Amino acid sequence: MLINNEFNEEKIQSPLQYIWTIFKNKNIAVMSMWAVIFLILIMLFADYIIPYSPTMQHPDMLLLPPYWVDGSNPAFLLGTDDLGRDTFSRMLKGIQLTLSGALLITLAISVLGLMIGSTAVLTKGVKASVMHHLLDALLAIPTLLTAIIFIVLFGMSYENSLFAVSLSLLPQFIRGIYYSIENELTKQHIIALRLDGATNHRLLRYGLFPNMIEPITTLVNRVFTMAILEITTLGFLGFGANSEQVELGSLIAKSIEFIYLSPYLVLFPGIAIFLIIIVFNIFSEGIRHAVIEGEA
Amino acid sequence: MLNFLLRRIYLLFITAFILSLIAFTIDHLTVHTFESENAYSLYKNYLSDIIHGDFGTSLIDQKPMLATGLSAFSSTLELCIFAFLMASTIGIPLGILAGMFNNHKIDYSIMTIALIGLALPVFWVAIIFTILPNAIGWNMPIDGNISPIYEVPAVTGFLFIDSLLVTEQYQFEAFYNYIAHLILPASVLAIFLISEIIRLTRHAITMVMKSNYIKAAHTKGLSRRQIVYRHVLRNALPPIIHQLRLQLSTIISFAMAIEIVFSYQGSGLWLFVSIQQGDYLALSSALLIISGFILVSSILIDLLLVTISPTKRKTLYADQ
Repeated sequence: MLINNEFNEEKIQSPLQYIWTIFKNKNIAVMSMWAVIFLILIMLFADYIIPYSPTMQHPDMLLLPPYWVDGSNPAFLLGTDDLGRDTFSRMLKGIQLTLSGALLITLAISVLGLMIGSTAVLTKGVKASVMHHLLDALLAIPTLLTAIIFIVLFGMSYENSLFAVSLSLLPQFIRGIYYSIENELTKQHIIALRLDGATNHRLLRYGLFPNMIEPITTLVNRVFTMAILEITTLGFLGFGANSEQVELGSLIAKSIEFIYLSPYLVLFPGIAIFLIIIVFNIFSEGIRHAVIEGEA
Repeated sequence: MLNFLLRRIYLLFITAFILSLIAFTIDHLTVHTFESENAYSLYKNYLSDIIHGDFGTSLIDQKPMLATGLSAFSSTLELCIFAFLMASTIGIPLGILAGMFNNHKIDYSIMTIALIGLALPVFWVAIIFTILPNAIGWNMPIDGNISPIYEVPAVTGFLFIDSLLVTEQYQFEAFYNYIAHLILPASVLAIFLISEIIRLTRHAITMVMKSNYIKAAHTKGLSRRQIVYRHVLRNALPPIIHQLRLQLSTIISFAMAIEIVFSYQGSGLWLFVSIQQGDYLALSSALLIISGFILVSSILIDLLLVTISPTKRKTLYADQ
């Protein structure tokens, strides 16, 4: 690539810079990146944005529709629920709790899963075989069942539901990492690196991980999507957040009986979940495409 | 072949042993407490009970757990199978189209549909579907499996077959009623499954299209249709089946969430009600039944994969 017009000098970018250059040229990807940043900002500063406390009740303003519908009050942007609480504030708090939980799970699973997965591939013998069978057994338990078992054993709370979701997603992630590393191990540059006498650590740092950005992005994105879906499902079933905490799934569960009186109460949290997943998926898809193009 | 089978069965036993340990632990942490006896003899008793089919009796209705659990899980299975059939008839052709026209407008629009299907939380779609018949003006049942006016004795446990067995009494009324109850929950599950199937099919087809034997077929001058039918589909099928097998537990857990919304009498509702009423024995029974099913079916799927793709045979132990 030319850095200026005067000298015909070629500057070789580092692979990550090159990927970033490709990523920058994709409009949708950049837009989704800003949307992701926007969502994270909302998550961080929800307490300062919300106009009312999420538990504050306005007894004279029950079940108001959002501001563009007749009979609404512009002071309540998205209307109120059955106790006169502001839907907009509750939604933002819900996005905060759900998104932070999902991001936390994704981070924890990525770190743990990468460590366990790479150990499982690079070690042989008893350690690997024990891990293999344990993972097989854990994979056979449906995620919802794992979560319910965990919650029954250790009590109902949002933190426990997060633990349960990560416990059920971890085996799938490790499996994915295991396959992609195993796939990578047969390639010639890895064999060359091994013949050079590389230790396992060096093999991972310089041989495997730089070539695995694309599968890792896909897997992390998958974990994040599933984490959001499962956290909200558990919240919806009443196994997650308690009554003081506002979570998107439990918001839907609480307003389901008012679905004919005020359908917005069910619609908005669902749309919020939908948008969060869409935005993060497009973002990761953008990264994936940039990586694939960069490698080609 | 025999060697492979033995290997799979050996793996099955180890996994089943781990699962029984987990179920035993859950059972003793929730229902019983560890008494003076040592854990080993307790586990031995538990195992012999399970092998004789005695999962304990429910605290709610004093019925044996195994029978309740099996009949509940068979309803879940029916839901999954019905949804899967719906999803494959829609998803596989779309996935093939998307894979054939990789990075084309058709590909992008199909992948958008798939992304939307993935991003919609299933329980929310289920709620929307429960008010949908009312909003459009259809007359569709939205709760339960079958109308209680039909007395359908449980012969196989699968209502699809049982409702056909009572045709003498009700003609096909019971069967139609059952199908009407099944359509809405199954379509909710199908929305999720369609997006998964499109994604997997597209990925598999793109991978196959890149391979050298397809290029060779092109240079031989075969038409596009011949290449797709003869070479692409046959080689793309094994990875799709393999990935779907790994997703089996996710599919079942989404089906369970949907059941709770539609109050469809499956394992999801059974577990939900049991836990709310403090009948924790249901947990370990459900764990054994559902995970046992997933284990056995994954071995059957492995066998299927071996029969349809011989190249898979040598790698089967490594990536079981």
